[in-house]
Amino acid sequence: MTTWLANIACFVEKYNFTDSREDDALQTFKRTAERMGHKFDFMFRESISEIPKYDAVFIRATTDPLYTAYVVSRTASELGLKVVDDPESIQICGNKIHQYSLFRKHNLSHIPTVFINKDDFHHKQLLEIFKEFGKPVVVKAPYTSFSRYVEKVACETSFREVAKRYFRKSDVLAVQKFVPTAFDWRVGVLDDKVLYVCKYMIPKGRWKHGAKLRGKPTFIWGRTVSLKVENTPAELKELALNACKVIGHGLYGVDIKQVGDSYVLVEVNDNPSIYAGYEDLRSKDLYGKIIAFLVD
Amino acid sequence: MLVVSNIDLRTTTPSMKPSEFFKSSIKDFTLNLNNDYRYLKTGYYVSMHAEVLGNTVIPTSRSIIDVNRTPILLLEATKANIPTNHYLVTSSVKQIMLEIDFPIVVFAVNPFSFDGYKTANNKSALYRAVKSLGMNYKFAVCAQPLRGKMISFKSIFGKCQQGERLGEIARKVYEVFGVPICKLHVQLIEEKAYLCGLQPLKKEELLPADLQLISDEVACLSLKGDHLVG
Repeated sequence: MTTWLANIACFVEKYNFTDSREDDALQTFKRTAERMGHKFDFMFRESISEIPKYDAVFIRATTDPLYTAYVVSRTASELGLKVVDDPESIQICGNKIHQYSLFRKHNLSHIPTVFINKDDFHHKQLLEIFKEFGKPVVVKAPYTSFSRYVEKVACETSFREVAKRYFRKSDVLAVQKFVPTAFDWRVGVLDDKVLYVCKYMIPKGRWKHGAKLRGKPTFIWGRTVSLKVENTPAELKELALNACKVIGHGLYGVDIKQVGDSYVLVEVNDNPSIYAGYEDLRSKDLYGKIIAFLVD
Repeated sequence: MLVVSNIDLRTTTPSMKPSEFFKSSIKDFTLNLNNDYRYLKTGYYVSMHAEVLGNTVIPTSRSIIDVNRTPILLLEATKANIPTNHYLVTSSVKQIMLEIDFPIVVFAVNPFSFDGYKTANNKSALYRAVKSLGMNYKFAVCAQPLRGKMISFKSIFGKCQQGERLGEIARKVYEVFGVPICKLHVQLIEEKAYLCGLQPLKKEELLPADLQLISDEVACLSLKGDHLVG
């Protein structure tokens, strides 16, 4: 019988295995953990009651304070287990209003942003936003992830239409200046250190990395270009690390736009995508580093 | 003490509407009064804004998230020695039936729902409850054995009008989670009260007597000082 050094539960949902690249990455996590002497079990929502049997929990299912992943994270944390993503990171990263408030408080360079709230949303405020940011502007729901719930609007009618939809779920929304770029930097950060760096390319004719095809439910994604960490700009990495410090010390994917020679934060994501051949292409050791962090 | 309230208080203690508070950067102990503290709603953002400003706030944004997720509420309540029942988090009806005998009480884990809970005496009722509260199986549910009588009541600053036993549990829940206005779901089993769930109140559920109680508590707290809250 094998004696394991630590027992790691990896919380997943069925959709985590539908993309072969994500499936490959998950299997690599398992192989790496076992090679390092740790047991690595995939845990689905039906097995949440087994959390106390483990030493650490690694969440790969989509995190949000509304989802089961948050229940898993908080439960593991309350039981004293090491957990990635920790509940505090989920709380801040899962709500962009919280996140931008912290960026503002800590003077971190980010895309110009204002908040609008449901009870105080009026024509004058809308005009002021267009005057300050120009047209179009980007309306963002606080729970945005994977390029969803973010829309570009160029007139009052479409602004109101998008805001009305997003206000159904959240009483506060973010509105940002539209900053078109050919790609977004994605900096993977673990425990206050840069883990990997990629460029998430924007598909031709689109303005964000993932875009829905008109009239179809499918998403198209831009290419992912992986770079060696040491070959990327120091200023970029510094901004990413500073942004993560105001959130926590776990695993994050920081999205940054480059405007000329300067960098501005788009957002910090917990539970960043890790797909075989993309994020890990130039940073093969990321699997081992994450496992080591979990059992540290 | 800064009082931010979406409720019209019947007291001379000054208070501020949430929309005004969002524009301000007042640094003070903050009492956030709202009938609905659900995540992503105004009640949540008031506490979040106060915390970003560095203020101590009641309730905290963490409490707001946690009390609305029944399994976390029960886990933290158990740690604080508040009586709770065995519970199971899942979206599988089969698993519930395997581990818990009928009748069963099912709570939503998604915090959108105002419905609170559903009880099931048989398999088909359980399927309906899990499908409905799990929003077509998208979210898990929290199932608990129903071994007594379910009682739901308003808790205002940990006070209620349901007598000693339920008053005790309301007071403890307020001490641990600091949610000033909410509805508690409790199961009475052989004269003992067990916490089952918590949910927000609709504004129309706050009766004149409740508004008076809230106002009296606010007036009292503003006289006593911040350190006596929570």
